[in-house]
Amino acid sequence: MSLVETENLTKIYGTGETAIVALDHVNLHIEPREFVAVMGPSGCGKSTLLHLIGGLDRPTEGRVRLDGQALDELSDDALAKLRRRRIGFVFQFFNLIPMLTAIENAALPLLLDGVNTAQAKQKASEWLTQVGLGARSHNRPDQLSAGQQQRVAIARALITEPVLVLADEPTGNLDTKSSDEIAALLQQVAKTWGRAVLMVTHDPRIAAYADRIVFLKDGTIVNETQLESARTDNAESVTRMIKAMA
Amino acid sequence: MNLQLTLAARYLWGRKLRSFLTTLAIVIGVMVIMGTGIYMPTFMEAFQKSMLSASGQTDVMITHKTGEAFSVSVLNRVKNINGIRVAAGVIDRAINLPPNFYGRDADVMGLGIIGIDPNLAPQLRDYTLAQGRFLRQGDGNAAVISQRLADTLKLKLGDALKVPTTEGVVKLTIVGILPSRALIGNEQVLITLSQAQKLLDMPNRITTIEANLTTTDKAQGEAIVNQIKTELGANYTLGGLVSGSEFMGAIQMANVMFGMFGFFTLLMGGFIIFNTFRTIVAERRHDIGMLRAIGASRATIIGLILSEGLAQGVVGTAIGLGLGYLFGVGFVGLAEPMMKQFMNLTFSGGVIVEPALLIISIVLGVGVTLFAGLLPAFTASRVTPIEALRPSVGATITRIGRLSTLVGAGMIVIAILGLLSRRFELVALGGLLFLVGLVLVAPALVRPFANMFGALTARIFAREGTGELAQGNLTRQPSRAAITASATMIGIAIVVGVGGMMFSLTNTVVGLFEKSLGSDYLLLPPSVAIWKGDIGAGQGLANKIRAIDGVGVVSTLRYAQSYAKSAAIEGETMISVLGIDPIEYPKVGSLEFQKGNPADAFAALAREERNVIVNGVLAAQAGLNVGDPLPLSTPEGIQEYRIVAIGGDVLSMKINTAYISQAVMKIDFHKSEDIFYQINLAPNANPATVEQWLNAIVDDYPQFRLVVGREYLAEFRQQYDAIFNGFYVLLAILAFPSLIAILNTLAIGVIERTREIGMLRAIGATRRQVWRTIVAEALLLSALGTAFGILAGLYLSYVIVEGVGATGIFKMTYSLPFTGVLAATAVGLLFGVLAALVPARQASQMEIIKALRYE
Ligand SMILES: Nc1ncnc2c1ncn2[C@@H]1O[C@H](COP(=O)(O)OP(=O)(O)OP(=O)(O)O)[C@@H](O)[C@H]1O
Ligand SMILES: [Mg+2]
Repeated sequence: MSLVETENLTKIYGTGETAIVALDHVNLHIEPREFVAVMGPSGCGKSTLLHLIGGLDRPTEGRVRLDGQALDELSDDALAKLRRRRIGFVFQFFNLIPMLTAIENAALPLLLDGVNTAQAKQKASEWLTQVGLGARSHNRPDQLSAGQQQRVAIARALITEPVLVLADEPTGNLDTKSSDEIAALLQQVAKTWGRAVLMVTHDPRIAAYADRIVFLKDGTIVNETQLESARTDNAESVTRMIKAMA
Repeated sequence: MNLQLTLAARYLWGRKLRSFLTTLAIVIGVMVIMGTGIYMPTFMEAFQKSMLSASGQTDVMITHKTGEAFSVSVLNRVKNINGIRVAAGVIDRAINLPPNFYGRDADVMGLGIIGIDPNLAPQLRDYTLAQGRFLRQGDGNAAVISQRLADTLKLKLGDALKVPTTEGVVKLTIVGILPSRALIGNEQVLITLSQAQKLLDMPNRITTIEANLTTTDKAQGEAIVNQIKTELGANYTLGGLVSGSEFMGAIQMANVMFGMFGFFTLLMGGFIIFNTFRTIVAERRHDIGMLRAIGASRATIIGLILSEGLAQGVVGTAIGLGLGYLFGVGFVGLAEPMMKQFMNLTFSGGVIVEPALLIISIVLGVGVTLFAGLLPAFTASRVTPIEALRPSVGATITRIGRLSTLVGAGMIVIAILGLLSRRFELVALGGLLFLVGLVLVAPALVRPFANMFGALTARIFAREGTGELAQGNLTRQPSRAAITASATMIGIAIVVGVGGMMFSLTNTVVGLFEKSLGSDYLLLPPSVAIWKGDIGAGQGLANKIRAIDGVGVVSTLRYAQSYAKSAAIEGETMISVLGIDPIEYPKVGSLEFQKGNPADAFAALAREERNVIVNGVLAAQAGLNVGDPLPLSTPEGIQEYRIVAIGGDVLSMKINTAYISQAVMKIDFHKSEDIFYQINLAPNANPATVEQWLNAIVDDYPQFRLVVGREYLAEFRQQYDAIFNGFYVLLAILAFPSLIAILNTLAIGVIERTREIGMLRAIGATRRQVWRTIVAEALLLSALGTAFGILAGLYLSYVIVEGVGATGIFKMTYSLPFTGVLAATAVGLLFGVLAALVPARQASQMEIIKALRYE
């Protein structure tokens, strides 16, 4: 059994003539420890897919299973709990609460889960060190660079030791150097810390860090490719593939 | 919860100015409730204790019908009746003094010797001493006298006061001095009851029983009074609160009104908090969405927003309680000197803080905050996690609820019908409906109003087209605009409403005093209003005064005691009959008429028929109306008079009084003694010489005191104004929260339009243009709120003025507060612009790229 299984996952926005089919019977499996990148043109349904898998939104048709658990069977509160404990999120913007320090932001999921403050902060501090931010843990987000902010978000995503980390264009806001660092960090999340990672990106160079790339177009999976992690020309081959598809 | 509190604290701290302003709204609301809650009961208690007792009105006063003394055993019968809190026997005897008893310079003609029970008396009346101590059980020839008597006789503590008694002239040692009674009240000499019984040779007898009841409820009080009547039979007369109750009722109503204003203020505070929380939720949509995405439950989000509300509610309420206490105490202190001088009120009992008031203030303060936060909290909990991740669909045009508009319009119609009905309960209810109705119809009126004023702002900001933009912003979100306008409206309504009421009250009271005491000079007897016992002067004095060169008009009052029977009251009512000269009296003053035409009424009296004008208390108590017959007992038997008008003078406001012509009084009552003179100067007279002559004449009539009426009134007006100026300052403070309300709404507007503003800037709008758009929007909003507020405020003040009139005791004339309306308009618009400055700056300083990336 795969960690994530989608069965005919479909999402339609609106009704009647204005209805938009964002996802159209998508069947996707993600294995534990696997690093999957999702690519495709703007508006093809990448974010929608991520949201449905993360239980942020409910599908129009089909379902998502996480570790065998069908998400549609869960109540709103149960879903919140599931997101808190089993899933980590990293977004492009608005990842952090501006009023809280890095360490407090990283500790949020534990605090939401009722873990006592001292313990939660201890854990957050450990993870911040792991992602390379130990020294800046008492700074507020506006005192951190965009790359550093994403590291805090990754630390936060990992703190509850989830099985799955979802990242929607985590490098969309970063320069090349920082982008590479974050992509490498996500690779480490999968390889070293053993979490499955599903990442949406437009950047072939970033996608090349993944084990597998899923290509979406008009809400359906049009192509999938397994990458060999050892090869250094992955980025070029991904770019070529995109060109071939277009 | 720990997390929520931490977050709440961080957010509050992170937005210090806004947290401060929002909390301030709660502070002011609680402060008003607490402050008026302290002031009114203190005032009422003082009024009950002092004002009523000054003219002999404890809850119940029992005298023998003949006015003679009776056995103490009657007291015991009264004491045994259920519902009597305290009852005490009193001897009250007027002693006329031989001429020059205290020497030539001291014009004291008579004294009231009052024998009281030193232990019980302070429970019935206010005996706060200016100096010395109160009487004690076993005091022999010890006396407590008034400051004025002490001043007149040049006596101080420890000195001896000579008093003629049945045992010859007795020297009483002065042990205590009471503050002076200004106009109302006798020169009283207080001694112990047992000593009075001895000195006046009245062993075991008393002339009056004074009692206070266990209840302040009118109906229950009447039941107890009836019980006393049954117990004592027809030979005893009951007076007291019964006749003063309408006046108490008026004060209680004022209390309700103040409470209502406090409530409205808090309501406005609630509005502001509601608005602030809406801002908060709008601002933090991404934060909230992110929290939801990483696993916060809905309850957590609600808890987060409510924690912020709770923190502000608790802090605001605590500060509000403290400030409210100071405000109440300050107001009491401010009002006291005037009350003391002109109404003879002292706030002896200190400031009263009822536990119920504390509880109400706390519950309302914290409750309103939490309640106001509830809806935004639920809105926040509905923010979907996705909103943290993707741009929102954008502000859509919100639809105006047609139902609420209809309901609101219906409420306004009912309110106006209520006003037309002239029934106080309906009018008061109408006031509330009117306000709520305005709030409900406000959204529907935003568009036409914005269009109307938009033309104006478009002209002001002609070249940039920002006026149109502002107008568009308002009409796109009419309900949000309406909320702000409503907050402004309530603020302005409170200011105009209370201001209008105060203005009318000032005009009415000053007018009343002017009518009763507005003549150039007055000759006052020792006891004003309680005329019984005053010794007057024959026709000669009036003639002598008229003969003075420079005196224009001389009008006098004559007095007779009578009784009347009426269907509305059991037994008989004691009536003070005043004889006026119907030709001269209107020239020096007038009565305050509630019903009937003044000119016709005076003309009717002049016809020497048995016509009578009765005052409000008498009319209300005996259920009398114009045209009714009034049978009065006279030395010639019962004579039937006809009521031609209802009206009275300020001095007799609380006493059953009937005004007849002096000619008729002479026929029916055989009285032609003048007891009160009002004198006006002739057009070109020299006041100094007239005054000199008057003084010389009055020297021969030591029972009268010469008072310069104009000076007295001027002083009165000055003090009165001083107090109300203070009050207007307080009102301005009340209007302050509406500033916060506008500020909040504009801030939301800016936040919600961040992207739009960024786009405008990107396509070439200057900072100045953006700034002007926001300011124009604020101007529109505040113009709307101010217009509604003035409307509602005028209605409210009219309601109050009508309401007081509806009690039939004290008719206020409504005066349109013109300056108040102008001031409110200026303040409202100024506030609008002031409130716009911060968000306008924020919008114009926005970085284009960031704004575009927002969401
Ligand atoms: N809330 C919504 N209401 C209506 N349509 C929506 C909504 N959210 C997304 N869509 C539509 O669904 C389709 C897929 O959107 P989605 O955000 O998943 O695309 P995407 O692949 O993430 O695009 P991008 O690369 O630009 O982020 C788009 O056509 C979009 O317009
Ligand atoms: Mg997307």
